[in-house]
Amino acid sequence: MSLLEVRGVTRSFGGVRAVDNASFDVAAGSITALIGPNGAGKSSLFNIVSGFLRAERGSVTFAGRTIERRAPHRIAQAGLVRTFQTPRALTKMSVLENVLLAAPHHPGERLGRVFATPRTTRSHESGAEREARRLLKLVRLDRQADDYAGTLSGGERKLLDFARVLMTEPRLILLDEPMAGVNPTLGRQLLEHIVEVRGKRGVTFLLIEHDLDLVMRASDTVVVMNEGRILTAGTPDEVRSDERVVDAYLGSHT
Amino acid sequence: MSTIASGEFWAFVGVVAGIYTIFGLGVQVQFGYTGLLNFGHVAFMAIGAYTMAILTVKTGLGMWAAAVCAIGVSILAGLLLGLPTLRLRADYFAITTIAFSEIVRYVALNEDRLTGGSQGTINLAGAGSAVQYDETWQRFQTRVQGWLHLGSKDATMLVLVWSAALVLLILLHMALRSPWGRVLRSIREDEDAAASLGKNVFSYKLQSLAVGAVLGAIAGLFYAWQFRFFSPDDFAPLVTFFAYTVVILGGTARTWAVPVGAIVFGLIFAGTRFFDFPPFSYFDSAERAYLRLAVIGVILIVLMAFRPQGLFGKREEMVLE
Repeated sequence: MSLLEVRGVTRSFGGVRAVDNASFDVAAGSITALIGPNGAGKSSLFNIVSGFLRAERGSVTFAGRTIERRAPHRIAQAGLVRTFQTPRALTKMSVLENVLLAAPHHPGERLGRVFATPRTTRSHESGAEREARRLLKLVRLDRQADDYAGTLSGGERKLLDFARVLMTEPRLILLDEPMAGVNPTLGRQLLEHIVEVRGKRGVTFLLIEHDLDLVMRASDTVVVMNEGRILTAGTPDEVRSDERVVDAYLGSHT
Repeated sequence: MSTIASGEFWAFVGVVAGIYTIFGLGVQVQFGYTGLLNFGHVAFMAIGAYTMAILTVKTGLGMWAAAVCAIGVSILAGLLLGLPTLRLRADYFAITTIAFSEIVRYVALNEDRLTGGSQGTINLAGAGSAVQYDETWQRFQTRVQGWLHLGSKDATMLVLVWSAALVLLILLHMALRSPWGRVLRSIREDEDAAASLGKNVFSYKLQSLAVGAVLGAIAGLFYAWQFRFFSPDDFAPLVTFFAYTVVILGGTARTWAVPVGAIVFGLIFAGTRFFDFPPFSYFDSAERAYLRLAVIGVILIVLMAFRPQGLFGKREEMVLE
């Protein structure tokens, strides 16, 4: 069964159809890549799926429930979280706090509970801190845990974003160019983490990525977008041999 | 005017600094932590003071009950302000909040029968009536003075205001240090990021506004009790900006910076009254009153030039992007 079903989603800006009648599925437990040239509508589609942008038409179903009219925070709470193309580090907070913020169902985030049940709140916080430090270790930011997130480089911020979404204990993670700006060694490690997290926790991934070699190696399904439309979807091998894909990237030769 | 003022005068300065501490804490929560530019914070002070006074004088409700109601009404006003405006962008939100505080002030100015109009609370029970809203408070203050063996009413007020400020400061410190406070700060930093991690940004902003409303109302209560009389003029937008000065002077997003900022601001504000040495003595007292405001401005500019992060802020935070 598909974890995410996108059906006939359309959205225009002015006269331009950024997303035009797009339909595709993301299978549970898969790593699905969304590729396409610049301006194909990938990020707009991400924004629609995560609730940051409203579709004019079409539906988005996540784990059997329609989510296209839900607020972003409710979609995130349901287990569908996303990262942004430019990482959104909370610069004046520590690296650790950035990850702690993502702890799900934290009683301490209710003002009443802070005073009514301080002990529960504190024990939840220390549990969250252990998990946050573990995740920071995973992306090799553990030594910078107490630094301001604003002191991190662009690539490190991407890794911080990754640790942060993992902290939410999601079912589906949308990654917008997770490898861009990350040095190649770290990028490869990040990809290994993605594969590992999928394997160990059964988390599903949908990612936008420009490094096609990487995409072809790691993903189970590749969805190709061009000019707002879904051109084709299939296994990396199927997509690679599809002439329309080559045309979209290199320009039509007809 | 003498260079050395009486203890009474400095007690008064201390009381006002205490009121500004409570009031400024509201700005700290909303602006320092949540990033909400509420330029109408004084409205909560006005609503707190007026609700307490009106209910006490006109409905025969006990003053303490009226004070609790005043805080409740202020929270309602905060929610009423926030529901339609919090979805606006920061700058538009700031504009609507200043309009909100002016609406409150103009209502107080023009609804004579309810508020006493421009003559203030002296006119609250109608012309010629001497009914006051603070008889209960005066009795309470005298009793506390007896318990603590304090020399004067001013000293008692000083103790009472600062006790309240201290309690609120501790409670707020606990709240803001908690994960709840962390969510507020994340909204100040980047509300889309906070939403993407499952935080209900709108709800937290409303909560922040409501907490600010409580603090504003409590400051209003003390204001009313200290001065025993007030009018709409006391709640001009300038009061809000004084509170911002206090917060920025102390350092944003630091709870303990607020009382220090309030004291420093109080000392500058009151201390400049005693500038009767050259070159200030070349001017007459009326001119000096204006000159004083200019001097306050210069002092604040110099302070900000040397410590843009405020007395307790961290400089590194100012350069991070």
